[in-house]
Amino acid sequence: MITILSASIGRMRSGGTWLSSVVKTLAPLVLALLLGAVILAVAGHDPFEVYRLLVAESFGSAKRVAATFAASTPLIFTGIATALAFRAGAFNVGVEGCVNVGGLAAAFVGFTFVSLSGPVLLPAAVLAAVIAGALWMLVPALLKSRLNVDEVVTTLMLNFIAVSLTAWLVNGPLLAPGSANSATPIVADAARLPKLMRGSSLNAGFVIALGLVVLYWLWDRWTALGYETRIAGLNARFASASGMNVPGLLFRMMLLSGAIGGLAGGVHALGNVFRYVSGFSPGYGFVGIAVALLGRGNAWGILLAALLFGALSTSGATIQLFSDVPIEIVNILQGLIMIFAVVRFSNIWKVRRT
Amino acid sequence: MIDNVIHAALVMTTPVLLAAMGGLINRIGGIVNIGLDSMMLAGALVAFIVASNNGSWPLALAAAGLSGGLVALLMTLTITRLEAKEIIVGLGFNILVAGLVRFFLKTAYDTSGTLNLPDISRLPRIDIAFIADIPVIGAVFSGHDVLTWFAWIMVPLTALFLARTRPGLRLRAAGAAPAATQALGLNPLTIRDASSVFAGFMSGLAGAYLSIGVVGIFSEGITAGRGFIALAAFYFGAGRPGLTSVGALLFGFFDALQIRLQGRGVPAELVQTLPYAMVIVVLTVISLAARKNRGVRS
Repeated sequence: MITILSASIGRMRSGGTWLSSVVKTLAPLVLALLLGAVILAVAGHDPFEVYRLLVAESFGSAKRVAATFAASTPLIFTGIATALAFRAGAFNVGVEGCVNVGGLAAAFVGFTFVSLSGPVLLPAAVLAAVIAGALWMLVPALLKSRLNVDEVVTTLMLNFIAVSLTAWLVNGPLLAPGSANSATPIVADAARLPKLMRGSSLNAGFVIALGLVVLYWLWDRWTALGYETRIAGLNARFASASGMNVPGLLFRMMLLSGAIGGLAGGVHALGNVFRYVSGFSPGYGFVGIAVALLGRGNAWGILLAALLFGALSTSGATIQLFSDVPIEIVNILQGLIMIFAVVRFSNIWKVRRT
Repeated sequence: MIDNVIHAALVMTTPVLLAAMGGLINRIGGIVNIGLDSMMLAGALVAFIVASNNGSWPLALAAAGLSGGLVALLMTLTITRLEAKEIIVGLGFNILVAGLVRFFLKTAYDTSGTLNLPDISRLPRIDIAFIADIPVIGAVFSGHDVLTWFAWIMVPLTALFLARTRPGLRLRAAGAAPAATQALGLNPLTIRDASSVFAGFMSGLAGAYLSIGVVGIFSEGITAGRGFIALAAFYFGAGRPGLTSVGALLFGFFDALQIRLQGRGVPAELVQTLPYAMVIVVLTVISLAARKNRGVRS
């Protein structure tokens, strides 16, 4: 049986030639940039100039590269969180909610237990984010694995619940004293992730993210659990027939996905914002879906995709200062990449021929 | 007081009900439409601009429906012809259209966030003589606009369409048994596309209701996630138009309640979570009931 499995995995991995896999990965990106160029041109901008600016503002100097790394940090987490669940066959679109509850949990620990020293407080705050994220996925994970309730709907609904619930908490019980806006108090210095570069928001969260990419790669490539998850995601009935506990696997992977989503929020809270505010995540969880899809679930692909989206968001914010190009071109490109990432391009030729 | 609440609840129900009826048809046809919100947003903007430029609300409604339908057509073609996952494409369209709308506002009107145009042709209200003066009944039947009436008339019509008509049967077949549809010589994908365009049309009208029916102003956040509330409503209704309308009405009531409760000690944010929480509960109950039925049979 193992040989059958290996053979099918092998076929899936290679999926034709190496070249075709590169083309498949780049096609959504190229198409999105082309359509984006058309939109820019229609709006009276020079697309080449805008794209040149975007590249310069993302990678032009050490400082800009640091900004890109910082912006991609939460996306690496949410990309991996999404990819883990997708790989197991669970369509988790609820990472956004985990980011919010994780961020709030980390901030809460960070501003409440201020008497603790750094080596205790920081890990405790990060742990709180991880636990909050995992617990947030508990209900959809249970419903999916025990009752086969559609996880797309439950996780999507939980996103809105998370946003409203955290908004309520930071408007009432957890509102910073004397603060008018919906935000918690600032976390203690000891709870902050150390910065990696002076004058930049790049912090140790990026290192944690890189570590997670390596872990995900090892897990996916070399561990039995990674292997089983892949099989279960490809063909749940086959996996069951070969004696795997598919519901149990789904349950664990959804919790793990939630935990990493929570970590994304925790790192964002402790490394960037230093508190939780309403509207804390500008859709990190949703962009994470695009990251996971563009990266085709592969560890290094996810890293590259997260860097790409990080570069887009950081450069989009600064080109507004030099030109009159609206920053929304970034959202347009994000949406297009997301759509094209799931399109089967071979069908375009098929349609043409008939 | 009670009249005000009833009226406000019905006003808040209309956009959700319109989009939910579209989403229901779409789902029965075999596509879960996560992109309703994007179609609503497109409809809201187009209706607003047309209502200002042409000063004709019927024209604005038609334009809104068509623009929603156009967004839906693009979305459905990527799903049915390019085999893209409906969930991802739906989320992608929400991000894309929100970006396009804001990009357009900045480019064409040099404004970010809200758009204020002169001479908006608002939806007229239909006041019914005599009935308007009766408490409760007056609030239910009088003082509403054409879209509200249209939305509620669509509920029995949709039920009738699904249960009694040939196209309705074909639609159900396209969703539940595409192979059988194909065997009858029909293309299930084309039927699905049609159901998506209908959902887009209804959502476009829902958007128009928000921009030229309720407020007479356009803002980028005008839908406030109502496309997702509509999704919640047709999941709540489990494929039944009547029950879906009950869900929409319930959520409209929560929405109205939430606005009234602001500043009265009851947290509006928690009321906002109710529709979403209810969907999870309903799905759980449906699944438990299905499991029980299976248990009895075996």
